[in-house]
Amino acid sequence: MKEAIRDRQHSSEDIVKAFGEEPMFDIGDEVIVSVRYPIGHFRVPNYVRGKRGIVEAVIKPTAINNEEEGYGRNAGKRRHYYRVAIAMTELWPQYVPPGDGLRIEIFETWLERR
Amino acid sequence: MTQTDKLITQLPTELGGLDAGPLVRTDHEIEPWEKRCHALADVLDFHKIINTEEKRRGIEALGSDLIGKLTYYERWAVTFANILFQKGILTPEELAIKMEEVQARHSAAKLCDR
Amino acid sequence: MELHGHDHASEPQAHDEAPGYYEVMETALRELLVEKKLIDPAEIRRQIEVLDSRNPALGAKIVARAWVDPGFRSRLLADGRKACEEFGITFYDDTGLIVLENTAEVHNLIVCTLCSCYPRPVLGLPPDWYKQKPYRARAVKEPRALLAEFGTHIQDSVEIRVSDSTAMLRYLVLPLRPAGTENFSEEQLASLVTRDAMIGVVTAELPETKEIMQ
Repeated sequence: MKEAIRDRQHSSEDIVKAFGEEPMFDIGDEVIVSVRYPIGHFRVPNYVRGKRGIVEAVIKPTAINNEEEGYGRNAGKRRHYYRVAIAMTELWPQYVPPGDGLRIEIFETWLERR
Repeated sequence: MTQTDKLITQLPTELGGLDAGPLVRTDHEIEPWEKRCHALADVLDFHKIINTEEKRRGIEALGSDLIGKLTYYERWAVTFANILFQKGILTPEELAIKMEEVQARHSAAKLCDR
Repeated sequence: MELHGHDHASEPQAHDEAPGYYEVMETALRELLVEKKLIDPAEIRRQIEVLDSRNPALGAKIVARAWVDPGFRSRLLADGRKACEEFGITFYDDTGLIVLENTAEVHNLIVCTLCSCYPRPVLGLPPDWYKQKPYRARAVKEPRALLAEFGTHIQDSVEIRVSDSTAMLRYLVLPLRPAGTENFSEEQLASLVTRDAMIGVVTAELPETKEIMQ
């Protein structure tokens, strides 16, 4: 009897996730690639900065920021990468035909909700 | 942005969207030393002595002049040396002495062949 | 330059040619790391064997199976790495694999604009042109003009989708199965699948069709 009461007191609302475990974005979310200009090492090419896209996939599991990994950080805060769809016309205004697109993996800290 | 800002906020290896000429359908048979160099990169990554992202960052750090003048695996060899020096795993002196030894070994072998 | 060890088979001796500067550097680095007990020569020898065993024929087998087996095709599209592992193709470098399905509506192309990311565990080493400026610069900006230089013409009504590898995922294009191959064995189908078709710069074609195209 006591055990049953104890079980009822615990629910999924009590489960706390670690930092970064919960993806910030979901499939279909409209996002924009952040505009900032790091020096040293980065993995988000200049040609996609500030461009609008849609999240096509949430890559699992979480992983280390490869921009930090490049300086020898083999462990650390893990977050999600996202496969983002960006129209070619968004990247290159004169591009034809209008249906073509780009897909690129972007780390969570480089994306913002539109 | 000023002209010099662009030099450091654009990676020398970052090519997406740049103007470029026609495709040159080159390929070459990988040389034994190049294959060993590739194997070395993989083993260094397994051990996290130099992870793959560190290698990429190290190649970028060579700068556009060296990147343009060295071949693909030559860039890797120099990058390994630079990173191992930075990490205090090897010293330039150790490498130079060993390179002389390797070179002399080959010359001695050539003499024996006569 | 030979590896110090018992297996000389993979290391042809080139007494006639002086080793170049960078070959000497590679050898010296490797020997120093071995002396410091940071790596083992056996690991290098083994990794050379691993690299030698990975080539486009592996990818072609995967594609042929996907063409004939809808269940495998679904698994391949859901998790490329896991499906490759069914064939014993291991991903020793911690990368994942997304297989990109070409359809009547979409033609896929892969590139790495920042360096030379390529699905090495399943295709082996990439060709030089894949790692050089013209391909890497133009694939994300003018893929149609680039494909034309490979003799590949995709109708405007078909979407070209370019995947630029920047992180730990790698890509493999699953080409459209050529018409007229209904009675082909898996082996025959695999022989139609070239490395370039799995990069997406050409389509898979019957040999006679290829001749007409050239």
